[in-house]
Amino acid sequence: MSDQDPRIADGKRVLGVVPGIPATGAQKDPSDQDLVMTSPHLLVRHAVAALAVLLVVLVLSILFDAPLREVANPFETPNPEKAPWYFAALQELLALFHPVVAGVLVPTAIIGGLLALPYIDRNPAIATKARKVAVAAFTIFMVTWIVLTLIGFAFRGPNWSWVWPWEEWHGEL
Amino acid sequence: MKRLKLRDTTVGRSFLRSPDRATERDRAAGHWSNFLLHIYPVKVRRRELHFSFSWYLGVASAVLLASLVASGIYLMFFYLPSPSSAYGDMQTIQTQVAFGQFIRNVHRWSAHLMVLTVAAHMARVFYRGAYKAPREANWTIGVILLVLTLLLSFTGYLLPWDQLAFWAVTVGSSMADFVPFIGGSVREVLLGGDQVGSQTLLRFYVLHVVVLPVVLVGALAVHLWRWRKDSMFDQAAAEEGGEA
Amino acid sequence: MSRGIDRRDFLDRGWKTGIVMLSAAGFWTSWDVLRPLPGSGLGGVVNTIPANDVPGSTAVYVRTAQTYLTKIDDEVVALWQKCPHLGCRVAWCETSGEFECACHGSRFNRAGEVRSGPSPRGMDRFAVAAEGDLVEVDTGAVTEGAPAGSAESIDEPPRGSGCAHA
Repeated sequence: MSDQDPRIADGKRVLGVVPGIPATGAQKDPSDQDLVMTSPHLLVRHAVAALAVLLVVLVLSILFDAPLREVANPFETPNPEKAPWYFAALQELLALFHPVVAGVLVPTAIIGGLLALPYIDRNPAIATKARKVAVAAFTIFMVTWIVLTLIGFAFRGPNWSWVWPWEEWHGEL
Repeated sequence: MKRLKLRDTTVGRSFLRSPDRATERDRAAGHWSNFLLHIYPVKVRRRELHFSFSWYLGVASAVLLASLVASGIYLMFFYLPSPSSAYGDMQTIQTQVAFGQFIRNVHRWSAHLMVLTVAAHMARVFYRGAYKAPREANWTIGVILLVLTLLLSFTGYLLPWDQLAFWAVTVGSSMADFVPFIGGSVREVLLGGDQVGSQTLLRFYVLHVVVLPVVLVGALAVHLWRWRKDSMFDQAAAEEGGEA
Repeated sequence: MSRGIDRRDFLDRGWKTGIVMLSAAGFWTSWDVLRPLPGSGLGGVVNTIPANDVPGSTAVYVRTAQTYLTKIDDEVVALWQKCPHLGCRVAWCETSGEFECACHGSRFNRAGEVRSGPSPRGMDRFAVAAEGDLVEVDTGAVTEGAPAGSAESIDEPPRGSGCAHA
């Protein structure tokens, strides 16, 4: 009888009556490694996350208009000329180093390094304490990249000269 | 009183095929037979529910992708990729098309945010150590997805055909010139000439609306499929086993 | 393995080779299809201004050829507007007597030689010829500028401040 549909009586479900203590024992503490049903536990959280993201997009889109500059003109480069923000770090490097280094070697090394990361770092440990080298290296890379992005995005003005963003704003989104 | 449910009707049963969801077993059966849910594992580890586990950055990226596809399709109705009309179309979208400016804003902000969430997702996965065996391949696919996201954003950047677009792409594509041997010809094939022009606009448009989205969705399908397959993997047990 | 490859190995290698060759053919065909047609972009010969009107101490811009014309030692020189660094248009700055690139701040002297900034070489030059009275610029014949760090051929230090914040 164990695998059959539960009986329904008066709109209620009778699973069976067993005397004594519960067969599963006392309620155990839920562990993080326990399995729970995706539906609804993960789904409702994802739904809330999705709504939150869409709310952010909605608010940004109502408050800030996407920029549209003058029509493209091959005879006039705007000054300063800025790459999209996610390439600002690269543009900053290009102003400092030879293009073969900043435009080819660095991006190739970053993408290649990221692609190969799981095959380079063969340490099976998960805890941060047990993988200090990997965490330190990645953190240094991330911080460097974010700083370079900020510099290229906000701290560079005409002719790529240094400006203070609170005095002159040249960031483009 | 018993409420009539869609899945109790003949038509509903034929589409949903799931039994009454009374027991966990029934719910699992319903999950398996649902097309939209098939990208999810039936069960997940409890820790995956917490915000601190993932910061929901993966699902945020997916939602932004959906927002980009939807707003992008609207924009495509009003845009012709040619230097003589592209900029005018942008002005029409912003001034005459109903909600045109708003839809363009949604597209632009979703794109910026998606670059941000995809990169942050990568960082979160790194710090969680979730790229380690058996998930190495999925990390690599994730990096490919990041690169595709950047390429999509960059190709889209040219389409308004304003000064911002034109010179950013001029600078970006000139970098290819410094790649030894193949750089010059790669740039020419990408631009369809030796300078950014009408061919470039058309090529970037085709890449932006067809080629790259198809590749991205394909890679994303593999990414999610791999995630589902690996979701049952018990990291703690594996570590204990490793130490023993 | 004295018999060399047997039939199974032969077929196995055969279809794999076939797949590789098919992919290579597909890739090459796509690449070839997408190569730009000849004659796109610059490349023609452009008639510009009378040689006598080309100045010796400043530079004049000719839009149709995307070129700056100037005289170095009484010889007309045509400098391409494209920055050899990353392709931005280089602007002539009258107050300093230098070319300035907006994108990464490279500076060139009047002869197009690198003075500072990340540009790896001087501005590229087009071949010039005399067509009667006019200067004829051949935008198909490009001579690359001298590498950064070479000695400057003219002695013209910056006259004044640059145009960066103009």
